Amino acid sequence: MRKRIVIDPVTRIEGHLKIEVEVENGKVKDAWSSGTMARGFEKLLRGKDPRDAPFVTSRFCGVCFSVHQLTSARALDKAFGARVPWGGTLLRNLAMGAEYIYDHVLHFYHLSALDYIDIMAIANYTGKDKGLLSVKDKIVGLVKARDTYPLTPRYKPDEFCVRDPDVVISAVKHYIDALSMNAKARNMGAIFGGRTPHYQSIVVGGFTQYPDINMVAKFRSMLDEQAKFVNEVYIPDVLAFGTGPLFPLAKMGLGGGHHNYLSYGALEKDPEGTDLVFPPGIIIEFGPNNGKVHPVDQAKITESVKHAWYKEEKPQHPYNGAQEFDLDRTGAYSFVKAPRYDGLPIEVGPLARMLVAKDQTLLGLVKQGAKPGAVARHAARAIETKLVVDACSKWCDDLLEAMTKPGFKIHDTDHWEPPAVGMGAGFYEAPRGALGHWVRIKDQLIDNYQAVVPSTWNASPRDEKGVRGPYEEALIGVPVPDTDNPINVVRVIRSFDPCLACAIHLIDPKTNEIRKFIVE
Amino acid sequence: MDKNKNFDNWLDIHGISRREFLKYCTATAALLGLSELGFATRIADALEAASKKPPVIWLEGQDCAGCSISFTGSLNPPAASIILDKISLRYHEAIMAGSGHLCESTCHDTIQGGGYILVVEGSIPLADDRFCMVGGRPFKTIVEEAAQRAAAIIAVGACAAFGGIPAGGPTRGIGLNKALPGKTVINLSTCPVHTDHLVGTLLYMLVAGKAPALDKIGRPKAYFGQVIHDNCRRRSYFDEGLFLEDWNDPKQKDWCLLDKGCKGPDTYSDCPIRKWNDGINSCIDCGAGCQGCAEPDFYIGMAPLFTAMGERSQNILARKKAGLIPKMETT
Repeated sequence: MRKRIVIDPVTRIEGHLKIEVEVENGKVKDAWSSGTMARGFEKLLRGKDPRDAPFVTSRFCGVCFSVHQLTSARALDKAFGARVPWGGTLLRNLAMGAEYIYDHVLHFYHLSALDYIDIMAIANYTGKDKGLLSVKDKIVGLVKARDTYPLTPRYKPDEFCVRDPDVVISAVKHYIDALSMNAKARNMGAIFGGRTPHYQSIVVGGFTQYPDINMVAKFRSMLDEQAKFVNEVYIPDVLAFGTGPLFPLAKMGLGGGHHNYLSYGALEKDPEGTDLVFPPGIIIEFGPNNGKVHPVDQAKITESVKHAWYKEEKPQHPYNGAQEFDLDRTGAYSFVKAPRYDGLPIEVGPLARMLVAKDQTLLGLVKQGAKPGAVARHAARAIETKLVVDACSKWCDDLLEAMTKPGFKIHDTDHWEPPAVGMGAGFYEAPRGALGHWVRIKDQLIDNYQAVVPSTWNASPRDEKGVRGPYEEALIGVPVPDTDNPINVVRVIRSFDPCLACAIHLIDPKTNEIRKFIVE
Repeated sequence: MDKNKNFDNWLDIHGISRREFLKYCTATAALLGLSELGFATRIADALEAASKKPPVIWLEGQDCAGCSISFTGSLNPPAASIILDKISLRYHEAIMAGSGHLCESTCHDTIQGGGYILVVEGSIPLADDRFCMVGGRPFKTIVEEAAQRAAAIIAVGACAAFGGIPAGGPTRGIGLNKALPGKTVINLSTCPVHTDHLVGTLLYMLVAGKAPALDKIGRPKAYFGQVIHDNCRRRSYFDEGLFLEDWNDPKQKDWCLLDKGCKGPDTYSDCPIRKWNDGINSCIDCGAGCQGCAEPDFYIGMAPLFTAMGERSQNILARKKAGLIPKMETT
């Protein structure tokens, strides 16, 4: 018997996402990913002063705001001919680093962990730890008051959910602690960024916050606290879960997909930008015998709208991409365009970055039998958080050194006025993956603006050839033994850390009237 | 704020009557020969703990989740204690455990029960309902339904309050001021919402049992009562006509940002006093200037943001020239 399941909205993600799967013999046979909200930011930007773009595109996403601001500024840097001084780059990187640290921790604890633990197991905790007992009191108090929102309702815990009271209670304590760590990491970013969410200080040509030594000292002190949490809590939790109770899921490669991975590269370690925390590269069909990393050629990127609600027809390079909506177009089921590299669907994000970087910790886990998939995505995210923490520490040193030299600069003020004509592309790595912004300038105003964001790659619908997007492909074969409880489906989707507001797309409500499971 | 029985019920417990309640507990304790106030407080706290927390429904429309992130940025009090101890968060897409029909039915049941606080983040597309669908239904319909029985409605962020950035785009996003005509809405309209503005408003309502005093466009006077310019630390440089031109020059770093497009003279918010992120920094402090995000015509009315060549900035300069923005009095 085939059964069609609609999950709408998929929660604990950024944005509005609907996932539809067809289940046969306890496994997902086919899948469709649709975003359900559009704002048309790119079209809004036409005719505006280009310097507004980093501010406006920050609002693509209130979770990963800084990377949009930064990538937009990088596209403008090219179009304006601006050369960002090393001081400006360091400040941009520190602001960006703070976002990575908070965002990855948030994703593991607040967006994902509830899929892997049976929170009610806390009631069985018999230990004496005072901190943990207060967590027990809190949760048991909620149960007694019959008000356990927002922890319930939930999908029923399955055989992969951790029930060991000691493990669950410390995970929930870390969930609560991580909320404060998140807030502190964002405050850390605001030291240079101005405020969070939505930094103010990343502009074309560099940065606006002139740093002083106290700011650097404050940043470093707050970074130390973050480093302690990342090294002593976050990474051990991810490894304990990934190599313990979730290892069977890792071994079966739950949520694998096409195994094509792309990283644009990001976070400069030197003024020349030759040494990066995340190196660029692309891997096609990663496997036991293939980890070959190819150079990235952005000219090979196209966007198909065959199954998306736009008026254009043939796949276009983003410089030429239009944004005229067509809500009534037949054959379309999403307004995410389908970006392809050399015609292929590509996964982007921490897993892609760590495979492209040939990270030894991750490859070690793969050698032990953890196939690239949902669990590996969590592992890769934790591994790279440490890389960013370490890089931030080094940038603090570099910034202090630069600040104390004569001629210290944070901005290319000679290139602040928009050029009459120009075009530029900015490429960077968002916490969720490869991010590109493209801008064309005419008469000192924006003529065309396009962004291909990580979730456009990952959440894309089928393309001209009918090939599924990464979310859709990753769901194929995923076990759903109980169609009333599709917990593995949301585990796989959340492992990508979806960020739909920036993916910008629509669906047809006529085919989307259902919120309940439908048996075909 | 609408009169609503359920809301009054929980306000009776959480609101002003807490004082009366304490009086009652003290009297009880005295009757029992236990007159210490501490003991009475403990009785009150215990009874309160068993009481119902106010239900909250948080809806996201054409949003970026930035206001949700801002909300969870509260350190004192910690976001976890607000979410678990102070309110009963029935629906919040980015936080709640369940997905799909599980949480849609919780939302539905809470609406049926009435008396909840409705928080809305994000705008509503005017051009076509299909630009924002949640659970297969137009967001517009969802908001209209949820507003019917809400005890209070809070619009968080510029988008939900007045349309924000999406107002200037092809989907023509509108805020609750246009989507819910005639309803009282508390507008916390910066982009994103300021953590303190939201947490403070929620706590005020829990303690006082009513909405805070609002200005003509629904913003709490306590937060939006003064123009940014009047409290700006760069104000004296504005008065002297010293405008920052080069971000690299340490001498200029505190000068007025009007030349970089600052809209502080046209924007009402307590940002310069409160600052952002626990007082760590703010838009003007970091050298970028104010972009007017608390005002109803943000973003289109404020653009271009980073230059004084726009109409808005030229108007500010003309007012300055005409002596309509007098120098700050130094006493």
